[in-house]
Amino acid sequence: MAVENSDDGNNKGVLTVGQNGLSVPRESIGTWLDSLLSRRLVFVMGKGGVGKTTISIALACVAERMKKKVLLVELGDTNSIARLYQVQALSEVPRKLSQHIWGARVDPKAELEAYVRAHVTPKFLARKIIHSRLFDYLFEAAPGLKEVMSLGRLWRWEKEYQPLSGSTFGSTFSPTFDLIIVDAPATGHAMSLLRLPDLLIPMIQVGPLANQIRGLQRLLKNPQKTSLVLVSLPEELPVNEAVEFYSMAENMLNMPVAATFINCVYPAVFSQADLLQIESIERYDRDFSFSPVSKFIASARILNRRRSDQQKHIEEIHAKANGHVQEIPFCFTNDLTINQIQELSSFTHHH
Amino acid sequence: MTGILNCIKDPEGPEIIVCCGSGGVGKTTISAAIGLYGALSGKKTMVLTIDPARRLADSLGLKRLDIDAQRVPVENLHIMEESRAPAAELFAMMLDSKSTFDQLVTRYASPEFRENIFENRYYQHLSNNMAGSYEYMAMEKLYELFSQNQYDLIVLDTPPSRRALDFLDAPQRMLNILGHNFFIKLFRPYLNTGKWGFRLLNIVASPILRGISKVLGHQVLEDFAGFMQLWDDIMFEGFSRRATEVKELMAGNKTLFLAVSTPQRLPREEAKFLYDKLLQNNMPFGGFIVNRVNSAGTCKEIHEVDLNTAFSEFHMKTDMKNKLIATHNSHLEMKKSDKQAVQGLIGKIGSGNKVLQIPYAAGEIVNLDDLYRLTRYFDRVSYI
Repeated sequence: MAVENSDDGNNKGVLTVGQNGLSVPRESIGTWLDSLLSRRLVFVMGKGGVGKTTISIALACVAERMKKKVLLVELGDTNSIARLYQVQALSEVPRKLSQHIWGARVDPKAELEAYVRAHVTPKFLARKIIHSRLFDYLFEAAPGLKEVMSLGRLWRWEKEYQPLSGSTFGSTFSPTFDLIIVDAPATGHAMSLLRLPDLLIPMIQVGPLANQIRGLQRLLKNPQKTSLVLVSLPEELPVNEAVEFYSMAENMLNMPVAATFINCVYPAVFSQADLLQIESIERYDRDFSFSPVSKFIASARILNRRRSDQQKHIEEIHAKANGHVQEIPFCFTNDLTINQIQELSSFTHHH
Repeated sequence: MTGILNCIKDPEGPEIIVCCGSGGVGKTTISAAIGLYGALSGKKTMVLTIDPARRLADSLGLKRLDIDAQRVPVENLHIMEESRAPAAELFAMMLDSKSTFDQLVTRYASPEFRENIFENRYYQHLSNNMAGSYEYMAMEKLYELFSQNQYDLIVLDTPPSRRALDFLDAPQRMLNILGHNFFIKLFRPYLNTGKWGFRLLNIVASPILRGISKVLGHQVLEDFAGFMQLWDDIMFEGFSRRATEVKELMAGNKTLFLAVSTPQRLPREEAKFLYDKLLQNNMPFGGFIVNRVNSAGTCKEIHEVDLNTAFSEFHMKTDMKNKLIATHNSHLEMKKSDKQAVQGLIGKIGSGNKVLQIPYAAGEIVNLDDLYRLTRYFDRVSYI
């Protein structure tokens, strides 16, 4: 019953060039993951409730083990990253969450304000604009303004460099963050977010905003720098949406989907032979339901049934996905902890 | 003690039920089942959904869902007793934000402006993509149906936002933008009549407009002013009156909000948050519906089993025995975790009679009979 992972056999211990220009030996991981995490910007997409935050954090943990400096970004105000790390709500200023992981939340309004401050002189006029009701209005109603501001923030984080620690001369710089992982909003919203530069370029042609949008567009449409990752569940609706997503990513966004994570896959514990044996135990005698073993058999039946319900959806994703497909095992709890997510992120060792 | 949905059977019960909850909790299916429950209790019921999914249409026995009301062939229900069949009236309708918005414009805008409004870029953005437009329009459509007074019960399935609360917040945001005309007043002093009677924005006259145009570009402001001009005083008035009425209906005693969740953390937190928010705004909270609960219904103690005696009478390879034990333990873990989750929700409101648990269904909901199976849990209550 187990589904084979797609062929990426080449995952022996690899020597790769780290961000400091040194060759570092690294644990054995799949090449797909290797190339995914060598991007600058990864958007974790998917329908609401599929586990985008979990996968975002898991990816950050993998990158952290590779000694990359990771920025985990939350768009919107769900606070789910902060809740998992049990810290106060994240803000525009990246906060250290673990050794190599920082977390931040994009606040488009604050971003727009900073933007006005940077581009309008004299200062008192900038202040006046920010406090005017017209500004509030434009912010709420101008198409794409919020989104462009959120994306702009990502763009600037991507461009941010800082002096290399230990360097005595100010001449050596390294990126502040090697990898920015964005825990995106639910698919529909995230799609319009990523389409935005395409739509706005013809609308806004001059001025600082126009430059920002063009810069953004170059970043988003550079497959060496930006990748999409899709999270789905082995259920009908999420899989339908996943299939739709592949075609939109290809035709509308023109961005590659580097990997699909099928979250919450029940383990395929029992072989065909096991199931036959279970049946024969059930037939053992009529009073079986009073036997203490019946409880074990019942659990086996229920969880095996759930796995087989998932099977066709899993197969559909494998058949239709572009890029790598990674199954993530179901965790038998409602309240995943950071430690459990870290364990989940060990999918890198599986091959 | 009676269950939270029992009030539906009451002739004086709620006329509107709004199902809120974060995405992926099974809101649409629950809404459809509540609709069926209402119809079977003798109420002419409408299910207003946002989900164009094939599966829902299939489960209701419809070819596809449409923006026009469609009758659900309840007579196809196999389990239903003969006597009830002719009485049950269930309808379904799909929400479409854009077309509802267009209807509003048609209602309030003067005919010569209509086309201009429809063609305006800002209008298109507003009616299609703007955060909140979907949510607002859902309420708008609900109000329209309610006013027509054709149904005894309307069940509204809310849009699949990541946050359950978006649905409550959005209308106010929308009203803030379109419900007041001071915006046009703000612009008016800077509008000049152009050569063909169109008014142009005189950006030079206002330092603020100049500053904004420096950042956003002249074009953006021009387009925006253009829209605001089309969206004239009449539109503002009509829109804001309507929005106020919608708000009153939502907070009234004919409406009941249900928070749909699963035992998982995120939807659960959202449901709790929604509860607080409803209370804060004096809106009627109906209860929590917890979908996909392992071993729902009873909260029996989970017994420890002596493994040696349990397996003694069967010949089994150690490997098989270990698999069975591990699987059973996982299942118990899940049940325990679900039980804690439900108890957290019960604790939140201090009693179990407003918490309804729906057990994890084996298999998917594919037809009316499956939906009917769900309604059988609706009369139950949760014990602490």
